Amino acid sequence: MFDFVINTPAAHKSYSDCSGCGLCTLVCPVWRRKRDLQHSPLGWAKALQHGAAPGDLVDALWNCTLCRACDPVCPERIDVSGMILKLRAQLVHPQTAVLQGRMAAQARRPAPACQEKTALLAGEALRAHPALLSRITALLDKAGVLVVAHDDGADISLALEAGVTVSPERLAALIEPLRRADKVIVADGLLLPYLAQWLPAARIFSLGETLSSLEIIRRNLRVTDLYVIEPRAYHADYVRLIKYYDRLRKERGCDFNLDLQRIAIPATVRGLPQRLGLMVPDDDAQASWVLHGRSITRIVVESLEDRAAFEKVSNVPVVHLAELADSLRR
Amino acid sequence: MPPETSELVLTEPGAIGPCHVGPDALLGIKRQQTNPTRWNGQRWHPFAAALRDGGIELRENIAACGTFATDAGGTAYGLPHGVVIARSAAQVSALLKAAQQFRVPVTVRGGGLTTEGESVAFGGVLLDMTGMSRVLHVDTEALTVRTEGGIFWHSLAEELRRYGMDYLSAPLNLTSSVGGTLGVGGIDVNSPRLGCSADQALALQVVTPRGDIVECSDTQNAELFQRVVLGYGQFGVITEATLKIRRYTPLRMHYFYYDSLRTAVEDMQLLNRNDASDYSGILTIMDCAVNLLVAFDSDERETAFRANWQSKLRGHGEPGFALCMLRRYALRPWKLPEAWYLLQRKRELFPEFRRSEYMHDGLMYDRTVVFSRAVWKFWGSKQMVIPDLATSAEKFAEAVERGNAVCRKYFPHYTLYCVGIRLRPEHKPHYEMSCIPPDAEGWAYGCEFEPMMDDRVYSRDYLQSFKNAIYDIGVELGGSYYRFGGMMKGYIRRVFGDEVVDRHLAMKREADPAMILNRDVIF
Ligand SMILES: Cc1cc2nc3c(=O)[nH]c(=O)nc-3n(C[C@H](O)[C@H](O)[C@H](O)COP(=O)(O)OP(=O)(O)OC[C@H]3O[C@@H](n4cnc5c(N)ncnc54)[C@H](O)[C@@H]3O)c2cc1C
Ligand code: SF4
Ligand code: SF4
Repeated sequence: MFDFVINTPAAHKSYSDCSGCGLCTLVCPVWRRKRDLQHSPLGWAKALQHGAAPGDLVDALWNCTLCRACDPVCPERIDVSGMILKLRAQLVHPQTAVLQGRMAAQARRPAPACQEKTALLAGEALRAHPALLSRITALLDKAGVLVVAHDDGADISLALEAGVTVSPERLAALIEPLRRADKVIVADGLLLPYLAQWLPAARIFSLGETLSSLEIIRRNLRVTDLYVIEPRAYHADYVRLIKYYDRLRKERGCDFNLDLQRIAIPATVRGLPQRLGLMVPDDDAQASWVLHGRSITRIVVESLEDRAAFEKVSNVPVVHLAELADSLRR
Repeated sequence: MPPETSELVLTEPGAIGPCHVGPDALLGIKRQQTNPTRWNGQRWHPFAAALRDGGIELRENIAACGTFATDAGGTAYGLPHGVVIARSAAQVSALLKAAQQFRVPVTVRGGGLTTEGESVAFGGVLLDMTGMSRVLHVDTEALTVRTEGGIFWHSLAEELRRYGMDYLSAPLNLTSSVGGTLGVGGIDVNSPRLGCSADQALALQVVTPRGDIVECSDTQNAELFQRVVLGYGQFGVITEATLKIRRYTPLRMHYFYYDSLRTAVEDMQLLNRNDASDYSGILTIMDCAVNLLVAFDSDERETAFRANWQSKLRGHGEPGFALCMLRRYALRPWKLPEAWYLLQRKRELFPEFRRSEYMHDGLMYDRTVVFSRAVWKFWGSKQMVIPDLATSAEKFAEAVERGNAVCRKYFPHYTLYCVGIRLRPEHKPHYEMSCIPPDAEGWAYGCEFEPMMDDRVYSRDYLQSFKNAIYDIGVELGGSYYRFGGMMKGYIRRVFGDEVVDRHLAMKREADPAMILNRDVIF
């Protein structure tokens, strides 16, 4: 049976274990925007410890961007983002029926099985940029073993975010076609740890890590680049990826969107209302903070969402990682 | 001898009552904490209405109030009637004016890292300063920063590093605030050279308890400046601060290991007296493994240390110390469980101080991150009891040894953290009735005594007895404490004497007629 709780050693720890150290607040983009502890894990945990119910925290819980920056910094090893999802599950989001309907429809249309060894779950943003998607598949498919999955679980990702239960049928419809793949590359960082759990036999990688490990891309990173790591995947596999990106930094000398705790500073602040299209995203202040005080000549992003955010506030070129290989060809 | 009468003497709010701890009390006898009573809520409703009429957001719901129910100590609990998030000096001023008028207590909170309930509101308003946490201006020429008072030191560091700058010294926990720290001290491993955080303040914007917004410094409204710096939030709310900064440098770390507390303390003081290192401090595993850490900002300073001072230190390197330990426990086999604990602790702790992501080419890039994360990981918990002693240089080794004996008596496992604070003679007026001991010249020294709870549950009385036993040593030595407010305020008269305390009380009454600001922290 599939499980929606990520089985880390921290999974059993919850807000009742919070010591109140506040390290999560330091890295939380929502707190940074609002300067209000009620919009930080520290605030929820302490409020819940002292008599509040999830219903008292509705706005704050929906506003969390699930960037997972708070997970690796928590010294009590609380699965903070997991705790948020559990609390969200106790609230009923007004869009629940819509999200359930999307999943039910998708479950009725099972995707064909992936016949290749490597599957790419491209996600909605990349699908909306077919040229970039085909560029990425060409880059990754050197050995002709890659297939773009028809079903990339975008509806599941949104449902998870909204705390809406994913039915076993819908989950099976996503997972079964991927069973033959021994490597799954996923663009949506939120899904990464779940896929690792649902497909224990496969190796799961983020699209950012996969692209940046290609020599053809890597060698085009410059010392004056700001390399923007997609936070959700990075924080979900922090212990391993911190070392990976540290090696990349040493090799290429570029700057990263890492803070002093080596947490990836998100470039966007999109809570559930923005993800569901109920509110217009306003990422300008956060993207500007990432750039603040840095002398760079180019921004290289792993995620298209970040590209859009930087293009609004920066006058240096913003390129997707996959586009670095193009610049080599010119 | 028990007191002759046990009659309850009623005290006017704000005034200090008779000391609850009799001067003849026996050392180590369990005593009750001096937890303040909850404010009775008189005139809360018209006060709340006045605030709202003035456009101030006041949150009275359980989520808002519950967030601040305790501090890092986790032994004092109290709920405010309402919470205000600080947004501007003008808003804080309006709040304090209304609070004076309606006699409603206001408790100011920064990071909330006190351990004696000083930042816990026992009724009234909790003013959350973290709402004012922006950096206003960095001057890389004059080497100063102007920042809002509620900023966490780590947020300040994040911003300064974008300019290649760093603050001078700050507590090793990342989440204490500038305003909260300037009021109590702020000790770092570079304090033996650069002084405490409070000494970095060049100017402050303060909202006085009557609601006036005043800029103060050593030259402008100097008397207010003297009272607010190291003033435990009694004389005003720090809404902005101008601090000294410096160019950022990574660190060259050295560790020396001792099996004697006194020897390590003497060696640390030798380094400090001779300005032989940029950073120094002692961190122990009980009194068995005593680690003197020494660090440098530059190759030149490190080279000079190697040439002139390293051979004078009596500590060992890691392999040498391992041999010492082997000898020690081979001769004392009944102490093997202790040896096992040391080994376990070493295995957990050491890698944390050497994590590759914070070290490049042998240099430590983010010392505050490394130390603070280790502090939270290995010493942080929902309940933290960290009594301390601050003394002059001469009395320090004795204070550490006596405090260590108390720790041994009360807990199987504990840690001591010792560090020096370079004093600035021209700041003597700031130091009166503060964590700086009255008799300290040149340097003050502080030692924190932190028991490891190890999943054991201790009663509050037990923990309180432990704290009292430590604090009693301070009284006997004529020292001071980093944490003497809140639940430990019963010690204030004992350690500073009536004359000083009464003078400060008179100043407090003058500045804060309704005694509303940070009530029960000191007065
Ligand atoms: C795990 C841990 C590690 C620590 N390590 C160190 C260390 O290495 N060095 C060190 O020096 N200390 C250390 N401390 C103590 C702690 O850092 C200090 O007490 C701290 O500096 C307080 O800052 P804060 O912002 O948390 O203040 P708070 O706890 O919020 O408040 C402290 C006092 O100041 C008042 N106050 C708060 N903000 C303001 C303001 N803006 N204006 C006026 N008054 C205000 C409060 O009412 C309260 O009385 C540690 C504490 C813990 C729990
Ligand atoms: S997941 Fe991100 S936005 Fe949500 S609480 Fe954690 S740090 Fe804040
Ligand atoms: S980092 Fe963890 S323990 Fe610390 S305040 Fe946040 S949730 Fe609580």
